[in-house]
Amino acid sequence: MFRFIETIGDKTIQSFHSIYEALKFTFLCLIHMVNPRSYNPAMRMVLIKQIYFTAVTILPLFIIMASIFGSIIIGMVIVVATQYSLQDNIGSIIVTFVINEFSPFFTALLISLRSGTAVNTEIAIMSVNQELNTLKEYDIDLIDYLFLPRIISGVISVTFLSILFALIMLSSGYLFTLFYMGMDFHIYTSLLLNAVEIKDLIVLLVKSIAFGFVIMLIPIYSGFKTANSYSAVPISVLNGMVKLFIAIFFIEVLALLIQSI
Amino acid sequence: MLENIALIKEVKEFMPTYQAQREGLELLSKLKLAHIGVKRVAQCSNEELFYVMFIRAMMSKKDDIIIDMPYSIIHNLADVIKLISNIELLNNQQKNLFILDSLNHKIRYNSL
Repeated sequence: MFRFIETIGDKTIQSFHSIYEALKFTFLCLIHMVNPRSYNPAMRMVLIKQIYFTAVTILPLFIIMASIFGSIIIGMVIVVATQYSLQDNIGSIIVTFVINEFSPFFTALLISLRSGTAVNTEIAIMSVNQELNTLKEYDIDLIDYLFLPRIISGVISVTFLSILFALIMLSSGYLFTLFYMGMDFHIYTSLLLNAVEIKDLIVLLVKSIAFGFVIMLIPIYSGFKTANSYSAVPISVLNGMVKLFIAIFFIEVLALLIQSI
Repeated sequence: MLENIALIKEVKEFMPTYQAQREGLELLSKLKLAHIGVKRVAQCSNEELFYVMFIRAMMSKKDDIIIDMPYSIIHNLADVIKLISNIELLNNQQKNLFILDSLNHKIRYNSL
């Protein structure tokens, strides 16, 4: 019995210590983010490359998926809204669903699967290969050179791609309304423009920034804490991805709660 | 390799990338190794990697450079004289060089 209580206490202390370490790491990254000295030429070069790999190389797949999902999902929303006699609110339903919910969430999932895993593996392998120690030996700040460009690229990429996803979704949604309802282009655009509020755009931006931040921060932290063995790399990626998906769902729920107040 | 060499100057001295890489390329050219500037680690021989590591150390502001067991880096190094002369060719800043090695390799340094 005493051993059982001791184990619970030990686990609790470990959990709190892990949370403290993770929060300290997040705080350090934020401090470096606002420090102009962090933005040296090497860091800027890594940042440009990261934005290219995260946001540009994914574009063909991203545009195709946004077009397909756009026409199908907006079509489904319109059909359901029509069934329940909500035609008058179709504009606001589409805007709320596409801009506030689907675009940032789907973008976050896609970038997590593609770039989150890549960053986690990259940092974990660098850690196992002692490359991080070599950089430390040369007094090169790991946060400035390795972590910060990836975090900023995550924020920029997810925000940009979420906006793009919403625009493509709304555009491809028009095709469905044209063929299914025979809706005129001007009616469709005025329907959407009348429904869009500043609040929707702020929600899109804030959620995208939050998603972009955690999509890079959690895999980086997980890779950085990898044990010194190659067999620890997949475990690190697995743990990192689980924590990342929990964080994404947490942000999504938090955003819903804030919006409902 | 050039990115690797230029990194320290970019971070420590805020030197623009093209300028730091040009300095690295000049040092590689002294050894007729300019062609490895665009290669990645896996594409370089052990000897090429050794010189890249040395040039990277040269880029730092520290006065002392310690080469720890060069034979563990360049396994098939036949002539240590060539290695030393190349190092001296690169050492234009007159940094203090120290080579640490085990007694097993003592015979390899007899020609010095």
